[in-house]
Amino acid sequence: MNPASFLTPVLHDTLQVSLPLFRTELALAVTVVLVLLVRMLPGLRRLDSGVVALGGILFAAWYAWSDLRGLPGSPWMPDAVGPERVELFTGLLVFDPLTAFLRFLLTGFLVLFAVFTRITGIPDREDSADFNVLVLGATLGMCLMASANHLLAVFMAVEMASVPSYALAGLLKGRRTSSEAALKYAVYGAGAAGVMLYGISLLAGSLGTFHLPTAAARLAEMGIVGFPEGAALVLALGGLMVGVGLAFKLSAVPFHFWAPDVFEGASAEVGGFLSVASKAAAVALLVRVALGLSSPVALEADMVPAASVVLHHADEAAAETAEAGSSVTQASASQRRVAAQFASLKQDGDGQEGDASNSEKPATEAAATEIVAGATSAAVMSVDEQRIGLALPRYFIVALIAFMAAVTCTLGNLGAYGQTNIKRLLAYSTIAHAGYLMMGVAAAVALAGSNPSMAVSAVAAVAFYLATYVFMNVSAFLIVAVLRNRLRSEEIASYAGLVKTSPGLVVLMGVVLVSLIGLPPLAGFVGKFLIFASLVEASSLPAEGSILSALLIVGGVNTVLSLFYYLRVLKVMTFDPPPSDRPQQSVGLVSLSGAAITAFVVPIVIFGVFWSGLYTLAHLAGGIVS
Amino acid sequence: MELVETDLGATLSTLLGLAWLIPLASFAAILFFGPKMGPHGRNSAWVATGAIGTSLALSLFAFGTWMVNHPPAVAHHGDHGDVHGEDHGEEHGKEHDDSHANNHSAEATNRVAARLVRFAEEQAAEGGHGDREHGDHEHDGHEHSDEGHGDEGHGDEGQHADSVEHGDTGHGEKIAYSGDWYALYRSPSLVLSIGWYIDSLTVLLFVVVTFIATCIHVYATGYMHDELHDVTDHEVTLAAGGHLHRPGRFPRFFQALSLFCFSMLGIVIAGNLAMVFIFWELVGICSWFLIGFYFERKSASTAANKAFIVNRVGDFGMLIGLMALWGALGTLHFGDTVSVDAEGHQVVEPGLFSLVRPAENGHALQVPDGMVVAAAASRVGNIASVVSPEDARAVIAEQVSGWRAMGMGNWLLVVAGLGIFCGCMGKSAQVPLHVWLPDAMEGPTPVSALVHSATMVAAGVYLTGRFYPVLTPDVLVVIAYIGAITLFIAATIALVCTDIKRVLAYSTVSQLGYMMLALGVGGWVAGLFHLVTHAFFKSLLFMCSGSVIHACHTNDMRRMGGLLKKMPYTGWTMLVGCLAIIGAGVPFVIGFSGYYSKDSILAQALLFRQINPSHAILWYAAAGGAALTAFYMFRLWFMTFIGEPRDQEVAAHVHESPSVMTTPLVVLSVMAVAAGWSLGSLGVVNLLEQARPLGTAAGMTGGGLLTAAVTVPAEAASHAEAIHVTATWTAFATAGLGVLLAAAFYVWRVVNPAVIATTLRPVYVFLENKWYFDEIYNWIFVKPAHGIAMLASANDRGIIDSILHLAAWLSRQLAAIDAWIDRFLVDGLINTLANVTWTMGLRLRHVQTGRLRQYVMFIVVGTVAIFLLASMMLSATVAIP
Repeated sequence: MNPASFLTPVLHDTLQVSLPLFRTELALAVTVVLVLLVRMLPGLRRLDSGVVALGGILFAAWYAWSDLRGLPGSPWMPDAVGPERVELFTGLLVFDPLTAFLRFLLTGFLVLFAVFTRITGIPDREDSADFNVLVLGATLGMCLMASANHLLAVFMAVEMASVPSYALAGLLKGRRTSSEAALKYAVYGAGAAGVMLYGISLLAGSLGTFHLPTAAARLAEMGIVGFPEGAALVLALGGLMVGVGLAFKLSAVPFHFWAPDVFEGASAEVGGFLSVASKAAAVALLVRVALGLSSPVALEADMVPAASVVLHHADEAAAETAEAGSSVTQASASQRRVAAQFASLKQDGDGQEGDASNSEKPATEAAATEIVAGATSAAVMSVDEQRIGLALPRYFIVALIAFMAAVTCTLGNLGAYGQTNIKRLLAYSTIAHAGYLMMGVAAAVALAGSNPSMAVSAVAAVAFYLATYVFMNVSAFLIVAVLRNRLRSEEIASYAGLVKTSPGLVVLMGVVLVSLIGLPPLAGFVGKFLIFASLVEASSLPAEGSILSALLIVGGVNTVLSLFYYLRVLKVMTFDPPPSDRPQQSVGLVSLSGAAITAFVVPIVIFGVFWSGLYTLAHLAGGIVS
Repeated sequence: MELVETDLGATLSTLLGLAWLIPLASFAAILFFGPKMGPHGRNSAWVATGAIGTSLALSLFAFGTWMVNHPPAVAHHGDHGDVHGEDHGEEHGKEHDDSHANNHSAEATNRVAARLVRFAEEQAAEGGHGDREHGDHEHDGHEHSDEGHGDEGHGDEGQHADSVEHGDTGHGEKIAYSGDWYALYRSPSLVLSIGWYIDSLTVLLFVVVTFIATCIHVYATGYMHDELHDVTDHEVTLAAGGHLHRPGRFPRFFQALSLFCFSMLGIVIAGNLAMVFIFWELVGICSWFLIGFYFERKSASTAANKAFIVNRVGDFGMLIGLMALWGALGTLHFGDTVSVDAEGHQVVEPGLFSLVRPAENGHALQVPDGMVVAAAASRVGNIASVVSPEDARAVIAEQVSGWRAMGMGNWLLVVAGLGIFCGCMGKSAQVPLHVWLPDAMEGPTPVSALVHSATMVAAGVYLTGRFYPVLTPDVLVVIAYIGAITLFIAATIALVCTDIKRVLAYSTVSQLGYMMLALGVGGWVAGLFHLVTHAFFKSLLFMCSGSVIHACHTNDMRRMGGLLKKMPYTGWTMLVGCLAIIGAGVPFVIGFSGYYSKDSILAQALLFRQINPSHAILWYAAAGGAALTAFYMFRLWFMTFIGEPRDQEVAAHVHESPSVMTTPLVVLSVMAVAAGWSLGSLGVVNLLEQARPLGTAAGMTGGGLLTAAVTVPAEAASHAEAIHVTATWTAFATAGLGVLLAAAFYVWRVVNPAVIATTLRPVYVFLENKWYFDEIYNWIFVKPAHGIAMLASANDRGIIDSILHLAAWLSRQLAAIDAWIDRFLVDGLINTLANVTWTMGLRLRHVQTGRLRQYVMFIVVGTVAIFLLASMMLSATVAIP
């Protein structure tokens, strides 16, 4: 293999295919550089780095939007012929509707967030450049999380998103709680990352690839042939450990311990960023990994990028040396079983399926022979065949996510009960919401096995939930930040009787909280409804149905549980008598902060009533399930 | 400022519409921000005055616009004795209402026919063979064809000329603009809209109302200053002893005054009867607010309620009239509504006036087709049952004129006229509904001056005048008699009153009787002329009396006397008012405003008597009433201002009122003198003549339903020398007689009034008790109503309540059981559940220790725990396949 023949496809892949679809991230990266330059170059120091950052964010958001609206089937450009699924950088990343949606969500959130921070005044001008660099860098990592297609990319993206977050948590340098929060976050994150890396190595080692679709194909193959002795356990452990890393990002129970402490210690602004952007990216990554490992992608031989083939070869070389001689006999045994199963498939299939399998007959036989030769064979397994082969991994993933969703949701809600600090309460609220989101992911994974169109709806539900969650949590944290600036306190008790001085603000807070509970006619209700609807749909599946119906019940009960602590905040704000020593300053809606809060809350109401537009977008994002 | 016709209509409607709405804005402003307007809301007076002043400016501007574009012809009233009755106003070639005259008739007939068919089909449907839906469809289709039809009739101006000749006089055209601003409700059969009908009468009344209202606002700013601080009301004695002490209500007064102005102007500008009715009720409620301004006084709150309830009696009749009109004609619009349909044709929807006095009939009164058909319902039913709907329409259309000739539907028109008049009786305090007005004097005097003398009570006369084209001779005779009776009864009561405001109140009732009488005997201009002049001098008189009361702190004339020296402005301006109301003047040369208007009323009454000798009593009432008027007015003036003070205590602290009160008096006294004069074409009479409804210049013969045949003479005929000279001299003689008598009683003291009172004791007592109207009503209506109410209350309390209590007791017992179940079973369950979750939530906090080492350990523990769980699960599932 000479270097030129190796480099040409890689160069072509990078310059012609990948970079044009990577411009959102490029814009973010350029902005990071610019902000740093503004800070370093003496002539530019007078420029407000916040403005530079906002400009870059707007560029990124615009690119993300134009990618999103260019997707095939988008209602804005009916004749759009944009790419539907393109692997970038030799398969490290993937551009597909979910990537486009999440990029737009994250950059759009950044726009709101920039407005948010300018209003509340944290960071101050001194810290502004650092803060913006960290936020932009973290967002870049989150964008990568949303588009990771490769276990190494997964790890790198998670770290890229996490490390700036640790620094952000410690942004309030003078404050002890803030530093403590940053330390806890960093150490906990490091622990989780270690576990995750170990899990990745286990997975890659047993599957012989880092590339998620290829890994899925391997799994399918194993599912049909039968898992080698002990491989199932190793795979399960690996998957579980990768899950630990994701659960850390999601703040899922029992890896949530950092969240309340970090949210309490960090400023409300950082809390808003972590609770929204980080969560959105983590959910997207969970969808990627869970769906990637449990549902097949139609890979054609020429679609597998050259470089990844190269990488596979290297992997396989390593695997082969590890497994040594005994695997040969196993391989020949498994080859026989694959052939037998394919034959039975052909007999089972009705007319049209039969045609399809007939036409593939030579290819299948070729594949069967190629397995013995040790070449990549998954690419030629058809999607339906892979789907059957992945039944067991899917079941495992669904059960794992469902279990963690139930626990996360319940403990998150219960944990919020006794909280006296509003940021801590919101931290538990984000934990609980991570649980609801995971329920949607569980339903999506389960449905992907048998009913791809319903799986699309399930992913759409998750995406919709994420989009509305952006507005709800940004509004909640903005209100908390504005009140902090006024009252110098983040204790719930200090909000007593606020309705007398700032009725408008309390009404808006009420809207946000009721939406977080998920009551109609607010956006939170629609999101929750869509997720529960997918669960209902999935509960009739033969294998995972019972798990998911139990999950549905848990979700319903949890909604009732959450009612209590959200409304308690409202009760304090309205019914309790105001403390006598409170300054009589009110937060009127006719002010900059009031207008911003209103502007953030209004979409909650609008999307609660007119949600079809947003749902169309979300449905587009669900198109990753084939 | 020459404007094209349609532009002029738009301009006028905009100007007057603004003038109408500005007081509403002032009302809203004071309602919401009144107490914040300066100390004790002092500035609310300026808001209200500014608003009505702006309205006055706009009205004057509209008036000027009108005068420039439609200068009225010089009528005959200015130079007495000459008869040139028929030629006024002929130069106005273009007539908004009439250019589509034939269009109206075609339209009207078709509309009527459509209604007929629908009616007939409904009848048929009741008989079991008819299809309502089909009927509707037919109806729609038909209306569509109407529009084309209407268009055809558009150009037939020639016929129009013929039809004018047909009329009794070649009367000129009337200029009026009408239109809608906004439709409250729109259905095929009913349009309720806020619209305008503007002719010179509207413009004139806008000026009059806003002018007087402005004067009274200014006056009230001074008069009501007591309300600027806390008030101790000496007329209210509390149960605990002592007098009521309350905060001042300055803003509230001006708030109500602004609302009143808005409502009153609404009546004047109204383009349809429904809108009139709305604002009619609005002025009623304003009157209620204002009479009851001192609502802590029992007399005031009773008077307010009395005014409101008595007016409702009249309004009941008005509603009947409205329903008769709407039910039979399907429209309540005064003027025609011109609109453009989808195909670009002009569609003219005839209004009430065009329906009752169609152009092709020379604007002579005829029973409209709708009413004829409604009366001939049974025949329509017969036709509809024999022929097909399309034919039925044609057959009915043919038959209508025949039926009309048989007098069908006549009674319906009479009912409509009487009904509307009934409302006017209530508002204008005509016997037997006059009892509320004297009591209404409990309100503050500016209110009496504005609401209960000059404007609101005149609304009844205004509406009778506005609605005049629809009134049949039968109705007119009734109106004349009611007016005559009213003027006489009120005048007699005024003779013996000692309360200065009550004298004026009865005088108002009496003068309103004059106006009604004038309208009833065919004096349309005379009646409305008197309305205008009366508005000026009566508001002047009331404000003078207010000034006196303000100075004396009493209403009782027996405690006054000799005030002229101390209150020169008030005294002399009041004399002007008195002279105006008795119609003083140099015969045939010049006189106060009342001289002109009262003369024309008397002349018309005399003419009526000559033509209908059997109704001579009307003439005697009018002439006699003039003498009584002169007597009681000068009795009032002499008792108040001349002679020696009767009560030294009162006289001691009398002083002239501040200039903010006397200035309006002077301004109004100028108007009281000059309102009747004509300068060239600029004069009230000329303007009114311009506004005369089409077809009413000619006389009318009719009757038969309520009275024997009667002829309502043409008003122009009353200017004939023979009539006019007699009338003028009679007026002069009676007025002089009255003044002389009053002087004899109270100045020269030739006769002692006390002696007369004793001599004619029964009469005196009868009059002092106001003809026992209140007592009679008390016995006939109030007492029985109370009796029934007590019975009902006893029934409620004794029977219904006890059943209810039993039921309530039973429910309570049931509820107690239910509550027990709830508390112990349901709540217990829920509470236990809630407690469990709560405790769990709190326990969870203990896991969150905040110790980093522990957290990191939890990662390991968590992973291992889940792994164990997963491997158990895995081994279970791997076994399954």
